[in-house]
Amino acid sequence: MIKHKILLVLSLIFFNSSLLEAKSTVIKNATIFDGIEDSSYNGHILIEDGYIKKISKSSMIQGDKVIDVKGKIVTPGLIAPDTEIGIVEIGALNVTRDDESNIYDIGFSIHSAFNPNSTLIPWNRSNGITSAITLPRNTSSPIGGLGSFFILDSKMNINSNADMVLIGRLGGSGSSSRAEMLSLMDDILSFGSSLSKKDIGSDLTIDEIIESSSIASYLDLKTRDVKTLFRLFDENLPLIIKSHRASDIINLINLKKKYDLNLIIMGAQEASLVVDEIAKNDIPLIINPINNIPNSFDELASNINLAQRLEKEGITMMFNVSRDHNYHLIRQGAGVAVANGLSYGSAIKALTSNAAKVFNIDKRGSIKVGNHGDIVIWEADPLEPSSLPEKVFIDGIETDLTTRSTRLRDRYTKDLEKPNTYRN
Amino acid sequence: MKKIYILISIISINTIAADYEPYESSYEPLPYTNTIFKNANIYDGDGKEFIETDIIIQDGKIIAIGKELPRSNELITVDATGKWITPGIIDIHSHMGVYPAPSVKTSSDGNEATSPVTADVWAEHSIWTQDPQFALALKGGVTTFHVLPGSANLIGGRGVTAKNLQRNTINSMKFPDAPHSLKMACGENPKRVYGNRGQAPSTRMGNIAGYRKSWIRAKSYLSKLDEYEAKSDEAKELSYKPTRDLELETLAGALRGDILVHNHCYRADEMAMMIDVAKEFDYKITAFHHAVEAYKIADLLAENNICAALWADWWGFKHEAYDMVQANVAIVDQARNGTGCAIVHSDDEIGIQHLNVEASKALSAGIKAGYDISKARAMKWITSNPAKAAGIYDQTGSLKVGKNADVVMWSKNPFSVYALAEKVYIDGALAFDKASGLEPNSDFDVGIINPSNRRIEE
Repeated sequence: MIKHKILLVLSLIFFNSSLLEAKSTVIKNATIFDGIEDSSYNGHILIEDGYIKKISKSSMIQGDKVIDVKGKIVTPGLIAPDTEIGIVEIGALNVTRDDESNIYDIGFSIHSAFNPNSTLIPWNRSNGITSAITLPRNTSSPIGGLGSFFILDSKMNINSNADMVLIGRLGGSGSSSRAEMLSLMDDILSFGSSLSKKDIGSDLTIDEIIESSSIASYLDLKTRDVKTLFRLFDENLPLIIKSHRASDIINLINLKKKYDLNLIIMGAQEASLVVDEIAKNDIPLIINPINNIPNSFDELASNINLAQRLEKEGITMMFNVSRDHNYHLIRQGAGVAVANGLSYGSAIKALTSNAAKVFNIDKRGSIKVGNHGDIVIWEADPLEPSSLPEKVFIDGIETDLTTRSTRLRDRYTKDLEKPNTYRN
Repeated sequence: MKKIYILISIISINTIAADYEPYESSYEPLPYTNTIFKNANIYDGDGKEFIETDIIIQDGKIIAIGKELPRSNELITVDATGKWITPGIIDIHSHMGVYPAPSVKTSSDGNEATSPVTADVWAEHSIWTQDPQFALALKGGVTTFHVLPGSANLIGGRGVTAKNLQRNTINSMKFPDAPHSLKMACGENPKRVYGNRGQAPSTRMGNIAGYRKSWIRAKSYLSKLDEYEAKSDEAKELSYKPTRDLELETLAGALRGDILVHNHCYRADEMAMMIDVAKEFDYKITAFHHAVEAYKIADLLAENNICAALWADWWGFKHEAYDMVQANVAIVDQARNGTGCAIVHSDDEIGIQHLNVEASKALSAGIKAGYDISKARAMKWITSNPAKAAGIYDQTGSLKVGKNADVVMWSKNPFSVYALAEKVYIDGALAFDKASGLEPNSDFDVGIINPSNRRIEE
């Protein structure tokens, strides 16, 4: 009986101390690229209760767990602004794709399809991505489909910001003129901007509005589509339009002015031809800095120095990748951009704080007091794809960096005397 | 006027008089830029590293590598202090020219997807020589590339190896004396393309049956050919030469070993089966391409002397590409006491510009997996190993005295993302020079945005 009591006390102490251990962590002797300043500084970071509590120049800073990183680079967790994480497991396997709708259009949300057990989550996390925006495939109309922001912590209790961005596209389609696409976009926006809070009060009123609008009935809009259009204007929701050609970018800028849109242009391979207009109208871009291929007649001006050109004009940029799954390769893209003239500080911001700013992601994307503890400790330079994260924290908790890929690697490099199916 | 007339007549006589074989290489290098590089750091492509060493290229060849080599008036001196020199990069899997940019239907010519066996087609007959991608790859240090037909078909046709010296006919780019290759494809692609049309193959067993049926026909054609060729001249006159058959000529060439078999194949179990098919019909597989699961059978590949041409990290776009391991390249390289043949390939118009960084990712994954692999050895993955797989190692792929002077000078260690190719030489002739702005531009690039400029000019 006494023994049991001692055990109980001991286990309570143990339990408490393990809780305490998770409570606060100090990352000591870090070279901090905070995502705010252009250059790094040396300091010590205290993370407590999931948040960055203190950033100190003095090593006297106390915590339950102290990690001395000995001068290694520490950055905010990277934010990938254009992914299919959680909604596409295998590209060419339709039963694993949840990025398309046959019924909904403008208001199609992928949020409920998100799979926190997707293998893409640990894979991208182990490469430094701590959160991502997941976007559906483009719908049939030029504006359509809602993206959501997800924290990549693999928890079943999904931490996300649902339906926080609307997407669209403008460009050569091969089926009908881009002029038609632009007019349709204009008509949809005109219809959306006319909606009032009263209009969307009940589904019945929405049905009536759809019926009385030629464009809404032609597009066969559903109530969720109309509600989404209302949100676009009411909340000034970020609107990402995929577009490349310089003349299309100008047309989009005109639409932005006409409807006061919160416009972000993605792709923008010909942005260098119209940088002045983009800068003047303060339009953030999502570009793939490694893509210099004139892959279509909309992208003839593709150039490896795009990121550097944008930086010169003070244009806010974020990065994406051209292929699926390896969204962390925005690091490699950033490295290539730096090799071709982009400053290092701007490259780090493009991977972290710019997305937080542009998409109103609260308290993430930079290392500052009060922000969530999304932090990556790097083996070496984060822009060298050969260097990997040593530790990744999400909401102040150190995450597991094991992936299916490292498991398979170990299976085929260890315990080889056993048949493969009997190895770990 | 007279002079011009004479010149023209000489040229035309020469053209007629030349011993000209159809489809043969008519490649000629640019004028040689004989150069001594002083004080360079060198990866020789055969696994060696030399620090602060000189190298001389003259009349198209590498003529000396060593410390403190003498300068001379005939040589341009390049101070390579702090720079790195490697062999020209070779991509063993490219679709430049057959899937050019812009990627539009009218010039998408890589898959003759009208029948599962099209051994009669040759990739070189599809190549658009004005593809703007060649020049971009050159700036990434690529001096030689191997273009294959796509993977829609079980047997997709002949591939070709070319020098990355853009010209307006393919014959003038073809690598002299390089063997042809034969593209074969396993797995999802052929079974999807033909299965969707309700025809064979629609399964993996259908795939295997398809190869075997073709090889049976090829064997019989080859034995007729052998029989005829063994005859005396008199006997030949009394009999008929087997009727030419483009498809069977290619397959017979592969059976004879004159045409190198390059096999697109992802899964370990399928690669093992393809090795069986090769044994059944007595042909050699030179390389498996993509081979995402090569690490599962690395020993088998090494034992059979088959290279694996791999990506550093692509995965998940197909079910057969799901089991990606970043150490794949390293595991293949280290198999059977380091006798494996690993290649980093691109299959991609962006990847081909950064094969050095792709190799760097693969190397770092290998080191993490516990292998002791040097950068000098990893350089083989994008130089000598692809040269061997293309059958041109005797001419290029490493910095050996006497070999072609296909040379890249990098701004810093090429295993860094920040390294840029500063000078690229093909056969001892400067083809790209960052400092002076010397670079090729295809006809496509001329005046297409601004009539007075080139496409990517500021």
